[in-house]
Amino acid sequence: MHRPSVLQGIRDAAALAPPLFAFGVLFGVLAVDVGMAPWLAVAASLIVLSGAAQFALVGVLPAGAGAVLVAVTGLALRHVPMSAALARLLPAGVGRRRRLALAYVLVDETFGLTVIAARRPGVVIADYKTGADVVLVVNWLIGTTLGAVLGRLVDPTRFGVGELFPLMFLGLAAPLVRGRRAWITAVAAAVAAAVAATVLPEAWRVTGAAVAAALVGSRVRE
Amino acid sequence: MSELSLVVVAGLITFAIRASYLWRRSSTVPASPFLEVFPLALFVSLATVGLAAADGMLEVGAGIAAGIGGILGAVLGRRRILWVIGAGAAAFAVARLV
Repeated sequence: MHRPSVLQGIRDAAALAPPLFAFGVLFGVLAVDVGMAPWLAVAASLIVLSGAAQFALVGVLPAGAGAVLVAVTGLALRHVPMSAALARLLPAGVGRRRRLALAYVLVDETFGLTVIAARRPGVVIADYKTGADVVLVVNWLIGTTLGAVLGRLVDPTRFGVGELFPLMFLGLAAPLVRGRRAWITAVAAAVAAAVAATVLPEAWRVTGAAVAAALVGSRVRE
Repeated sequence: MSELSLVVVAGLITFAIRASYLWRRSSTVPASPFLEVFPLALFVSLATVGLAAADGMLEVGAGIAAGIGGILGAVLGRRRILWVIGAGAAAFAVARLV
């Protein structure tokens, strides 16, 4: 392991720890609120490890298994291009077990940090992402546990937790907006997301808008 | 299907999709403009849906104020994530008070 890259990943992800933790608490509270056992809420955070998919899971749980699986699949499809983009950044020497471990924590937040870090010289991508992933998993699991145990005693939405998460994504987007192609992609994504939010089912909005905007951006010359 | 089975199946679907390209050791993903811009498109989409249309309708309110604050934070803080989150959260708090 390249220690400086691991530490850099931990340091960079520490900036995202408060919103990750708060969102973990929110998930725990909501899961228990819809009748999920506290241990199952924590198990969901460990097994699924995807904020969006887990919120969809508890949101459509009353509608039955079919609705849950359609929602989870719709949200997870955005990971196909994420998986391809991360695979491009990894050297061939990274073993399969390591690749599968990186895939297990292929979440928006640490993926974003990794894409940004890949632009810096001397960063070992697999090690950097591992460091960032540790911070994410620890905060997500502790937050979920706390939320599931405290349940209705806390209301994280009162503290604007719902807005912290989108702001974090805005923060991840900011360093990537450089050059004509990036600006056009960003504007296209904002417009596509605004349209998708009003016409597409919830689980397909982000995936649909991101793919549409990336298609627009990919046709723009630098 | 029990809730636990549902969670496990959701986890398997998510993991299978996440590993779709990553599992191949000799991954030969071609360089493409699409993959280059996809992360940016994804993060802007996530931010827009979360701030402006969380309930499926475009709302001009504290969420938009948070977004504007975040963009200002990015400009002032040389695109540092903490500046974006801090300025956005401050703008959100002010908008809620007004």
